[in-house]
Amino acid sequence: MPLDYLANAGTNILFDVATLVLVSLGLSIVFGMMGVINMAHGEFIMIGAFTVVLAVRQGVPLWAAMVAGPVVTGLVGVVTERLLIRRLYGKRIEGTLLATFGLGLILQQGATLLLGSSPEGIATPLGSFSLGRYSIGWYSLVIVAAALALVGLVLLLFLRTRYGLLARATMQNRAMAANLGIDTSRINMLTFGLGSALAGAAGALLAPVVAVVPTMGIPLISSAFITVVLGGPAVVTGTAASAGLLGLVRQVVTLLSTPLLGTAALLVAATVILRLLPGGISGRYRRTTL
Amino acid sequence: MTFTRLVSSTPGILVITAVAALAAGAGSIAQVQQLTTWTVYGLLALSLVLVWGKAGIFSFAQGALFGIGAYAYGVAGANLLPVTGESFSALLVGAVCGGLAAALIGYFVFYGRLGELPVAVVTLAFSLLLLTVMSSLSDPSYRIGVAVLGGYNGLGAPVLTAPGAPDGLTIPATFYLVVGVTALVAVGLRRLLGRPFGRIVLATARNEGRTELMGFDPRRVRLQAFTLGGVVAGLAGALYAASALYVDPSVFGLAQSALVVVWVLVGGRGSLLGGLAGVAMIEPLTSALGGSGGDLGPIILGAVLIVMVLLLPSGVVPALISLVRRRRAGHADEAAPVLAVEGPPPLPLDGRPPATLATHDLVKRFGGLLATDHVSLEFEPTRAHSIVGPNGAGKSTLFSLLVGANRPTEGTVWLDGADITRRSTFQRARLGLGIKRQVPSVYLDSTVLENLWVCAYADCRSVPESDRRAREMADWLGLSGRSADLAAELAHGHRQLLEIGMVLAARPRVVLLDEPTAGMTREETHLIAEVVRTLAAYCTVVVVEHDMEFIREVGAPVTVLHKGAVFAQGTIDEIRADERVLSIYLGRAHVEAS
Repeated sequence: MPLDYLANAGTNILFDVATLVLVSLGLSIVFGMMGVINMAHGEFIMIGAFTVVLAVRQGVPLWAAMVAGPVVTGLVGVVTERLLIRRLYGKRIEGTLLATFGLGLILQQGATLLLGSSPEGIATPLGSFSLGRYSIGWYSLVIVAAALALVGLVLLLFLRTRYGLLARATMQNRAMAANLGIDTSRINMLTFGLGSALAGAAGALLAPVVAVVPTMGIPLISSAFITVVLGGPAVVTGTAASAGLLGLVRQVVTLLSTPLLGTAALLVAATVILRLLPGGISGRYRRTTL
Repeated sequence: MTFTRLVSSTPGILVITAVAALAAGAGSIAQVQQLTTWTVYGLLALSLVLVWGKAGIFSFAQGALFGIGAYAYGVAGANLLPVTGESFSALLVGAVCGGLAAALIGYFVFYGRLGELPVAVVTLAFSLLLLTVMSSLSDPSYRIGVAVLGGYNGLGAPVLTAPGAPDGLTIPATFYLVVGVTALVAVGLRRLLGRPFGRIVLATARNEGRTELMGFDPRRVRLQAFTLGGVVAGLAGALYAASALYVDPSVFGLAQSALVVVWVLVGGRGSLLGGLAGVAMIEPLTSALGGSGGDLGPIILGAVLIVMVLLLPSGVVPALISLVRRRRAGHADEAAPVLAVEGPPPLPLDGRPPATLATHDLVKRFGGLLATDHVSLEFEPTRAHSIVGPNGAGKSTLFSLLVGANRPTEGTVWLDGADITRRSTFQRARLGLGIKRQVPSVYLDSTVLENLWVCAYADCRSVPESDRRAREMADWLGLSGRSADLAAELAHGHRQLLEIGMVLAARPRVVLLDEPTAGMTREETHLIAEVVRTLAAYCTVVVVEHDMEFIREVGAPVTVLHKGAVFAQGTIDEIRADERVLSIYLGRAHVEAS
């Protein structure tokens, strides 16, 4: 196989893995640390993307708009936790799932009514370079770098900061953490806010390369859900490993056949691995691993 | 009350359905078509009530299974009609395909032991994947036989055609058929839930661990219930395609998945009627507001979801029912009866012979910790045995190895000469191990009698025999006056006793009790000791305890564990006279050195 073909395929795989990491990381943190599946995660991604598109149209520089994406989405997350999620702790486990599902429907349709359903876009920055017969966008490499950087930042946040320590304590034993004087309600709010901000960051970063529409979250989250479930209890490293594996499978099959079969291969691979490794990829790690 | 009972009896339901259907069938064609669709939705809602409300599996896949049934009807009907001259068999194909798809998903998620939320997520991902796949198969070359799948344009489905009537069913006739099928499925599901299969499904949803301890495989039970739900959803989908004459990929979309959940959530997942009522409440509302595809449809659905989850999570129908059946006054305040058992337990002396449970060189390591250190023990029949030891001696680990909750690192476990080291808990239970763990584990949401019934049925698989055993056991436990109360209403001591009764109702050959007196008063402990002594005549009994007073009362041979190994063995008096045992209980250091 020619070298340029392999380099291009490698870039595609890295880009797909990075996308999976970006869209699953926040979901995984909220699920792993709080036991909440945020069904509105896809709509939070959409909010991050629209923030960028609307800000750029107002003349805000792209990089500033990209910072605004996670900030706005994080705030939406904090408000959601205070008004909705908080009322459902300790109730039946599917309560938060149904409530966030409802929120997702409302956000999606609300966005359609306000902003219309025709695709919005901003130009992909940075141009491209050519590699043999292929042209590769510099921005794809930015996405890959950003995914790596976010994983590193989140690990630092959990391992090196006071919030991280308290959040891990709360995740391992909520009752004990409360007994030790940790304000677990505040930790919940911050954790949900962090997960939402990461969704916003994903949306912001992807805004220049995907069609920004109110329903843009749907195709992204179905693979994100699978990634999180396959990742298992280690919310950061498990999810990253799972994204690596699934992205590889999806892109290899896509390159050899069609994107449709690639997506199908992703689901089949995830299902079979889950059957073989109950508890997911990180199911046999030490429980306290992130 | 009698009126309610008449209305909710099987003939009552069928008569009411027939009258309502005849009245409704007289409407305009458009109205009849609308009612047909709603009735099909009701059938779909029934499948989710079964899966979610009864089997405790939160599934987003019912919409997708419905879609599979619809597509299967369309494809099979188009191919069969020219050959057989009818399309009723295509309805069956739809139901079977729904069941097969559910069995496939169920096998992976239940046997992969996914948690409740991951199951929900996988079922949703499955739906979305089908949406993507079906939408993109728009090229005319994607066809099965004569049926062109059509991608997002959808697939045409043939009209329902009976053999010998080539024109097909009229719209009202289709409506009557749909109503009839839905009523029959509702009645059939209700019957099924009252039968052993249904009771085991309910039991698994209410307390998976206890059900496994009784010898049922919860994964299998869930798979069966989920598959049945798939059959019903597939049948609903086939009927949908047969009445709408068309199906498109939107049946796999989020909105459809959400709709099913909303119906059942609003109506009440706990009852079959709730599922039907949910459709009857939501569908007319959304269609009056422009349908669920309209501008405000998703927003209203979302708002309904949030409001219901926050304010009325069990749904409208259960809330109404509990309003009508006001709680019987004051019955929780009755002076709680003291624990008491009357005479010998209702067990046959000539039943299954008690068995010998033995371990050989059993070792369990957790990382660097040697929790069980080459333990070889033999528990002979018709005797009680006790295992004691200070905290951390390895009692619980040994117990978990005996019941199969953990696998040993080395060594074997034997039951009457058969190697059961690799058998899982439910398989050991089937071989005659009766297990009671430390934390009381009963079906809190079932009545006392139902608790005992499931356990008796686990052994004898006969309804009349289980009824009899459950009643006898309730009498013996002194709980016959409370047999209709929920186990959740029992005090702690009574729950412990009820669980012992449940273990015995399954007629075990070996009974394993882990700290049966935890949290009990002195008198209650005394009573349990007496029960254990009596039981030794019927089966092998192994008790793990740290209460020495209780062990003395039981009077059984004692094995002392220390640091995972057998430290001393003998009668209680020998053990009590042993300085070394005293030392490890008091933590003196010089024993460590010796």
